[in-house]
Amino acid sequence: MSQDWLLKVEDLSVRFQSRGGDAHAVEGVNFEIQPGETLALVGETGCGKSVTARSILRLVPEPPGKYVAGSIKLNVRGKGVVDILSATTKEVMAIRGERISMIFQDPGKALNPALTVGSQLAEVFGQHRLEMILAAAGIDPSKASRAEKRIAKQRASFVQTRIFALTRKKKAETLQKAIDNAVARSLADTGIPNPKKIMKSYPHELSGGMKQRVMIAQALACDPDLLIADEPTTALDVTIQARILELIQDMQKRRGMAVLYITHDLSIVREFADNIAVMYAGHIVETGPAKEVLANPQHPYTSGLLGAIPHRRTPRGELAAIPGSVPQLINPPTQCHFASRCPWAASACKTMAPALHTIQENRKVACFRFDSAEDLLIENAGMPTPAKLAGGN
Amino acid sequence: MNVSTGSNSGHILNTDAVVTLNDVKVHYPVKEGALQRVTGHVKAVDGVDLSIARGKTLGLVGESGCGKTTLGRVIAALVAPTGGDIWMDLSAQQQLDVNRLRDLSESEMSTTDRDLWKQLTLNNRLGSMSKEKQRQFRRNCQVVFQDAFSSLNPRQLVRDIVGRPLRVHEQLSGEELDRRVIELLEKVGLGAEHLLRFPHQFSGGQRQRISIARALALNPEFVILDEPTSALDVSVQAQILNLLVELQAEMGLTYLFITHDLGVVQHMADDIAVMYLGQIVEYGPTDQVFDNPLHPYSRVLRDSNPTLEGERNRDWELSGTVPNPIDPPHGCRLHPRCPVAAAACGWSVSDALSRTEENSPVLFETIKTIERVDDFNAQVAFDNEDGARAFVDQLTNSSMNNAMPIPPTVSGSSVTLAFNEVKDASLEQIQKDRWSSCIRSQENGLLPELVKTPQVNEKEGQ
Repeated sequence: MSQDWLLKVEDLSVRFQSRGGDAHAVEGVNFEIQPGETLALVGETGCGKSVTARSILRLVPEPPGKYVAGSIKLNVRGKGVVDILSATTKEVMAIRGERISMIFQDPGKALNPALTVGSQLAEVFGQHRLEMILAAAGIDPSKASRAEKRIAKQRASFVQTRIFALTRKKKAETLQKAIDNAVARSLADTGIPNPKKIMKSYPHELSGGMKQRVMIAQALACDPDLLIADEPTTALDVTIQARILELIQDMQKRRGMAVLYITHDLSIVREFADNIAVMYAGHIVETGPAKEVLANPQHPYTSGLLGAIPHRRTPRGELAAIPGSVPQLINPPTQCHFASRCPWAASACKTMAPALHTIQENRKVACFRFDSAEDLLIENAGMPTPAKLAGGN
Repeated sequence: MNVSTGSNSGHILNTDAVVTLNDVKVHYPVKEGALQRVTGHVKAVDGVDLSIARGKTLGLVGESGCGKTTLGRVIAALVAPTGGDIWMDLSAQQQLDVNRLRDLSESEMSTTDRDLWKQLTLNNRLGSMSKEKQRQFRRNCQVVFQDAFSSLNPRQLVRDIVGRPLRVHEQLSGEELDRRVIELLEKVGLGAEHLLRFPHQFSGGQRQRISIARALALNPEFVILDEPTSALDVSVQAQILNLLVELQAEMGLTYLFITHDLGVVQHMADDIAVMYLGQIVEYGPTDQVFDNPLHPYSRVLRDSNPTLEGERNRDWELSGTVPNPIDPPHGCRLHPRCPVAAAACGWSVSDALSRTEENSPVLFETIKTIERVDDFNAQVAFDNEDGARAFVDQLTNSSMNNAMPIPPTVSGSSVTLAFNEVKDASLEQIQKDRWSSCIRSQENGLLPELVKTPQVNEKEGQ
């Protein structure tokens, strides 16, 4: 296959219908993820980073959501390219959990409080790994009878209708054991001590860090090619946060999967991501290798974000806060969306929106100060020239 | 905790303190069964000594569940402490008097002391002071809560929310009230146009500004900021932090800044108190605590916080999870998780058992009975002798070994455990301006060195 990318998002636009008009949550977003790469999508509340992530699994509810334009292509090993946005529901179902899985911000809300951890995890195996379970129970998956498959599925599912309980007790027991072992193994993989005990407990009996580990075990049960982590540590304490992120990094190295972090915490990005894409008001405004972008930001928004992070060296009371607030997303005007808060905004910024401009290999910025004035027939005087970039080369 | 010595070694003394805490405790009863009998207490705050200097910012940091918010509420007199005293406006001399007198019964005091004590409790002690003083304290001490979404009444206009303290305390109404509210709104960066709006019409940052305006309505001296920016985005957080600093300079405010964000606290606080499991484990000037922590917990907190520059040191890590605050560990509360725990740190029977449960659950399930003589002595019976031997092997190979004066003995299938009894750790002054409750730091005057080998062995041994 010629393509080496794993996921390619092209010109994605997602809008939400609302009473005042359509909210342009995501507008013309482009990015690629290579196998094994870690990409971080960074931005503030409402910038569209979560909507982008959910679109990849087609989890945005329709209506009110609407995929207006673009495509999300997934390169499935040995099966060719699938466009997630135009695929049938059945195809999408086969991708969710199997090829791409997701962990959510608040593990307390994402786990079902009424089921034990073990039965929630067993469901994943029942849905996606029936053959593995059958094989582990000593039944040849290709020759398994319908009844056997059915028992396996029922044992794994939390709906405990065990109609074969009496007639095929022995078989059901071996299958149950195979499921339990698979679940325990996936839990032990995430560094949970005493997985057999954890399996029997309910989510409310576990600490936040433990719940997040369970979520990770669930997400990685089927060896996905891409893991989407939507603010995986915002609900956790600092000491646990570091351990969870190290766990994800460790699992990523062992399995060679790609990770897409959705986060607002730039310090996490620097340590755990290869590349970064900064989003603002539905647009990607800057992309590049994480360390370079954070050390030498080129978009005024990225540098504004970095300046706003409280630090002991900044004199108290002199944090470089970005003035104003995020522009409205309903029927936005055609202009650079950051213009109203930008210290360098020129007249050109108010009349048209800048496109992503390659300023270096791997680095792109959406800002007019990198376009030459003649090309655009607009005036960009008053902005600092990109000469400062020389330091990055 | 060691007030009985009469010295001030365990007390943080500030020349002029807005609020001084003496051994403050908040224990919530745990009720069980049909009769709702009290079976234990959640020790949310357990013996805190602290004083907050006038005009300064004290940062209170710790992880969720460590009791920092409860402590903030106790100081604001929103929660009544179950033990200890809270004093307001004590001078340095008065603080010394309080420390000297508070453990004496009235009959033991001299006549002058008795009068002094009476005056102190009447004028300065929360709970026993006069109604008038209490009212004054309420005006002087205001709180800004974490969640500006739930701390503003959604059915009230901004005018009513910000004007409420003025109505209650200053009996203002009508145009005069509106004028004062607009003044306050302008102070926090809002304006007259926001007067007749509801909270849902504002963004998160603006709501926090309304909260701040409400807190400042009565010209307080002391403001408790309970995670004021944790629900906000970085760019808005910067605006709010700048505003808080501006207001502090303008109005001479004292802040208690409760947060879990170490970046924010480093930026904002003059002094810092680190809390773990209901107790303050380290106190000192912010920069010194971050440059040279004197408690393993502060060190771990600092090191696990990812930063925008430099590489993070991953050597110091805590094992396991936060213990149950109903039955906190003896000695130093961190020792079961501490990377530098030694024999003197307070090992007990519960530690031995929970360590076994975590590291080798199979072995733990073979335990038949546990007969506890007290927290430090017990007999553990196993199903068979092999289990008992494996248990003893595990103990002698861990840092607990030296905490047992008599090595654990196997008789038949049961093991006799005897640990050294250790007093609870208390905050002691180690260096100038620096207090730590780490038993090992107190011995050396420095944070103990991390020796990596035993930790690695233990992990591999599993």
